[in-house]
Amino acid sequence: MAPRTIKVDALVVGGGIAGMQSALDLADQGYQVALVEKQPSIGGKMIELSKVFPTLDCCSCITTPKMSAVAHNSNIQLFTYCDIQSVDKQGDGRFVAQVIQKPRYVDIETCTACRQCEYACPIDLPHPFDQNLGVHRAIYVPFSTAVPQKALIDIDNCILCGKCERVCPVGCVDFTQQPEELAIEATAIVLATGFEITPTDAKAEYGGGKLLNVVNALTVERLLAPTGPYGHVLRPSDGKEPDSIAYIQCAGSRDKSLGVEYCSRICCMYAIKQSMLISGALPLADIAIYYMDIRTFGKGYDQFYQTAKAMGVQFIKGKVAKITEDENQNPIVRVELIDEGSQVVERQHDMVVLSVGMVSKYDPRTIYDVNVAGDGFVDTPLTNVSPCVTSRPGVFVSGSAAGPMDIVDSIVMAGAAAAEAAAYIQATGPNGHGGGRSIAAGEEKELAHA
Amino acid sequence: MGQESNAGEPKVLILATLSGGYAGADSVGQAHAEYATNTYILPVVCPAMFPEEFYIESFERGIDAILVMFSGTDCPYKGGAERTAQIINKVYPMMKERGIDTRRLRLVAICTVCTKPFLKEVTQVNELLDEIGHVAAEIAAGPSVQAPAS
Amino acid sequence: MPEKHDSKAAAKAKSSPKEEEVRIGAYTCYCGGNISDVVYCEKVAEALAKLPNVVVSRTDMSMCSDAGQAKIEEDIREHGVNRVVVGACAPSLHEQTFRGTVQRAGLNPFFYHHVGLREQDSWVHHDRVAATKKAIRLMSAGIAKARLLEPLEHIRLSAEKHALVIGGGIAGLRAARDISRRGLKVTLIERSPFLGGHMAQLESIFPTEEDARTVLHGLIEEVAADPNITLYTSSELTGVRGYVGDYQVQITQQSRGVDEDVAEEAMAACTLEVPDDYNYGLTQRKVIYKAYPGCYPPTPAVDWKNIPDGKLELKMNGKKIKLENKPKTIDVKVGAIVIATGFTPYEPRKGEYGYGELPEVVTMPQFIRLLAMAPKGEELVINEKPVRNIGFIHCVGSRQIDDVHEPQPDGEVNNYCSRVCCTATLHLANDLRHRFPDLNIFDVYEDIRTYGRGHEDYYIEASENRVVFLRFHGEEPPEVVASPDDDVSPVQIKLKDYLTWGEEVEVPADLIVLAVGIMPNPVDDLINLLKVSPGTDRFLLEVHPKLRPVETAVPGIVLAGTAQGPMTIQESCAAASAAAAKVSVLLSQGLVELEPYVARVDLDLCKGSGECVEVCAYEDAITLESMTIGGKEVKRAVVSPANCAGCGACVSACPNRAIDLQGWTLGQYQSMIEAIVAEIPAVEIES
Repeated sequence: MAPRTIKVDALVVGGGIAGMQSALDLADQGYQVALVEKQPSIGGKMIELSKVFPTLDCCSCITTPKMSAVAHNSNIQLFTYCDIQSVDKQGDGRFVAQVIQKPRYVDIETCTACRQCEYACPIDLPHPFDQNLGVHRAIYVPFSTAVPQKALIDIDNCILCGKCERVCPVGCVDFTQQPEELAIEATAIVLATGFEITPTDAKAEYGGGKLLNVVNALTVERLLAPTGPYGHVLRPSDGKEPDSIAYIQCAGSRDKSLGVEYCSRICCMYAIKQSMLISGALPLADIAIYYMDIRTFGKGYDQFYQTAKAMGVQFIKGKVAKITEDENQNPIVRVELIDEGSQVVERQHDMVVLSVGMVSKYDPRTIYDVNVAGDGFVDTPLTNVSPCVTSRPGVFVSGSAAGPMDIVDSIVMAGAAAAEAAAYIQATGPNGHGGGRSIAAGEEKELAHA
Repeated sequence: MGQESNAGEPKVLILATLSGGYAGADSVGQAHAEYATNTYILPVVCPAMFPEEFYIESFERGIDAILVMFSGTDCPYKGGAERTAQIINKVYPMMKERGIDTRRLRLVAICTVCTKPFLKEVTQVNELLDEIGHVAAEIAAGPSVQAPAS
Repeated sequence: MPEKHDSKAAAKAKSSPKEEEVRIGAYTCYCGGNISDVVYCEKVAEALAKLPNVVVSRTDMSMCSDAGQAKIEEDIREHGVNRVVVGACAPSLHEQTFRGTVQRAGLNPFFYHHVGLREQDSWVHHDRVAATKKAIRLMSAGIAKARLLEPLEHIRLSAEKHALVIGGGIAGLRAARDISRRGLKVTLIERSPFLGGHMAQLESIFPTEEDARTVLHGLIEEVAADPNITLYTSSELTGVRGYVGDYQVQITQQSRGVDEDVAEEAMAACTLEVPDDYNYGLTQRKVIYKAYPGCYPPTPAVDWKNIPDGKLELKMNGKKIKLENKPKTIDVKVGAIVIATGFTPYEPRKGEYGYGELPEVVTMPQFIRLLAMAPKGEELVINEKPVRNIGFIHCVGSRQIDDVHEPQPDGEVNNYCSRVCCTATLHLANDLRHRFPDLNIFDVYEDIRTYGRGHEDYYIEASENRVVFLRFHGEEPPEVVASPDDDVSPVQIKLKDYLTWGEEVEVPADLIVLAVGIMPNPVDDLINLLKVSPGTDRFLLEVHPKLRPVETAVPGIVLAGTAQGPMTIQESCAAASAAAAKVSVLLSQGLVELEPYVARVDLDLCKGSGECVEVCAYEDAITLESMTIGGKEVKRAVVSPANCAGCGACVSACPNRAIDLQGWTLGQYQSMIEAIVAEIPAVEIES
């Protein structure tokens, strides 16, 4: 059977904040957009965060309206839980992406996210959304604000007991679902494929991921989130409230030994932000940040840094050589204190947070045929005046797929990518002027009320 | 159980902003957290639209407590939070004049995932109502009898 | 006040336009058991059927399913239902769905009200009887509101498919091109006689090592050749009226001064000289000038800013010629405005790090020009003096601290990071190292912020390539003094170096370059004209850094580039393209559509007290206007829906209750509260 074909003006790859914003900025111009997301829900890394710098807005309050806007936009077709296999250019200059929609084993049309299945399921699995501190069932709605709000089955861990199927009030559980092939035709492609954080085991000197009380910053985001696994900041080894917390900056960035010589841009600000939030949650805790350079370069960021200093967060210029632990699993940090004559000392903390960096999560060359730069992210050959243009005409890049950047910069770049893609569609669309839903001069399109 | 009058149950009106408290109440639902059933949540754009008399009239109609769950400093409207606070502050003396315990009206900031603060507010207001009972009795008695301390 | 089309129509579409019978359809959703497992939905439906105006009361396993929606459509078509209330999941999930349903069946989509029975009832209560009673009350309240629902229309304003871009630097150029590439018209205005802004004053740019003017001219050529873009140089915005979609702007343009055919000759003949701003005042140029060789437009212009009376005489070919500035005004209608007014480098105070007192102290922008003019050779020679030791000082005019640094005239220190200076400094240091291998380079810094893509490479290269780094603490900035021993070097930098024990060091220097920060170009006139707001850092303020990062609080006015904050060239271009996307979203449809939830005035009740105008936080959203009512000249409040945010502050302020918020009226709330406190209809609820 020939795969179902979806024809759009633009294909946006990735449903994190950058992809959502690019999709919205294209759809709101009247273009038809297909948004393809690998995970079962859109929201990306951002939806996992607690609060965001420098405004300390509740992150959910910023992200969920965008997710909902994507879901309700009549010009956006959302494809979650999908893998893109290949992207080729057709004779007419349009791209065609071969996509596999993975089976959820739940009928997405009828599921109402009532969670009866979750209550019935006997299997508990570590929840990646909570950095594996919390659990989900083998059948589960990805998280409370997931879009779409639909369950899926982790079939590898399902014991096929059928309890979910029996309890489901609308009969949406379907163990016979097969992967579905889709073909998405688009004039332009926006890559918003994001980043991965430095793997926990990347650096043996920092415990290689084996020290229980040495955690990455994304874990702390979950500890701080109101929807987090403990609802409180507790250290993992014994559930104790930590009295002394240390942040190790550049744990995965500016580090030749890891092959990551670049700065990840976000770590200084998130460490400062988390310090402020922990100060609120645990007023008596001492927080130290070991850093090389504090890089609070964005709008309002240096002021944020000064506020944290005034709140009593300690900033210690020092290079952390090694982290070990004592018999009570308290981390011991071996550090060269630059401001104190470069003496080397060992300091004990209750919990250590690695300010891990941003790394490229895949090789975009194989599927998208775009060049990558030395940092592994998508190359932007005209980076100064056209920062979203890639080496392949018609393919544009949005957000941290083009290297580390924070949410603010990602959102701005997402708008820029939408502008580039729109201009490309306008110039090369099927009618020679403006793609499938071009708006001719003087024509006033009636907007749907939705 | 047959039909029964609900008059005995004090009623809590929750005016919740779409960008804050109302979405927060939905989050509480998502979390399946339980709270008392005498709570009636109405969505509002910004509570700055309600004049002082609106609150008094609501009490006179038989609403026993009002929680205004707004977005606080995250209010998407210019001056909305300040204006709301000003109005609420003017309602308190009007409540005193009528013998209404001022603790029956509270302005609280609730965000979209503020489940715990939401539950705390609902619990507290019901503890208060257990203690002070229906507003109708206060209004009937008038200010001379009831002189709220707060 | 300009005439607001649609506003009058919207004002007329007020309560109950025709006295039709209200026929309400009430629908209680089972939500596949999510609601019905707790709430006795059939009992709810039974109770609601007893309420006045309710002609249909139904339940469904899933109202949002196609079958559920079809029921509603059928009831509207077959049973004359004209108001619909659905009790189901949260309105954020399906309110839009059901608005669509009623609209498909021919009703106004605002004849719909959604009640959240799942998240706010069945999911938070276990007592089935109490939850059922609550559901009845919540639905009754919804029905009470439905009785008072009014048909509303989205506010549609026709939009000029034309944008104004203010500023002809890299951000303005980028924005203009990207708006034009979407098929919209652009008017681009630039204050100076030439395009390019500060980028034209740079040489090699990071991180690509491209030539700044080559890159810039690529974009300028695109703009110059673009038939959609109308360019006005020597021009400023001097007037603006209207609102999003329909701004009437007035541009005032100074004369170019000389006719194109004789301009070159006139420039040659001109003898009056002024400091050359292209070289930051380090050199002189004529008042008839080209900004730099190859500038655009290529025709020389008269620098009227330096000729206060607007009159210039010169002798050309033995003839006396009189030139005169005759400013003209141009009126344009645009739908949106992009502010790309850019930055100005921080100008240190006289004496700040020796600036203005010691000739060996220059700012980095000045140094870039000096270096471009320096003789080629093995040795760095600046102002005819050989330079063996050069010192860079970071964070001059940035990251300032109260009580350590002197405030700016407005009383505030520049407490922000200027973002570009660290990489710019190291980029320059590496360039010097390549060209002058024997030069001693000292870099005095607080934190090295080479954050951007490819930026860290400059730091690594400098560290490996004999650039000597010294680090100060922000509270103890370095000092620049004349050297006591002029034989070693004319000046020195004194600091406590925290890379070596906090030791006091004296760095000898023949030249000191201050890595000055970025300040917004002063645009007070624009701020007043456009009613946009600056932040405490004086840069223009966006609505929200994440939700609406390039929009100002004024609809239709967006920001591009360093007017908003320090940015690199790349970041300015990204912001400009994002601004262009926003403009395209607004204007490409030819109309701007706004939510109908705005204030409206009942002229029968309005007494013209003006309280609403007083309390309104939105410019021109509500005004007092003179009108004739019953033969009398009176003042009455008039709402401009295009400017109204719909917050309702005016509703509470009005002493006569003459203002209400469409879609959320006070009367609707009162009726909902009455329904909540009312006895519920008698039904048997099982336990």
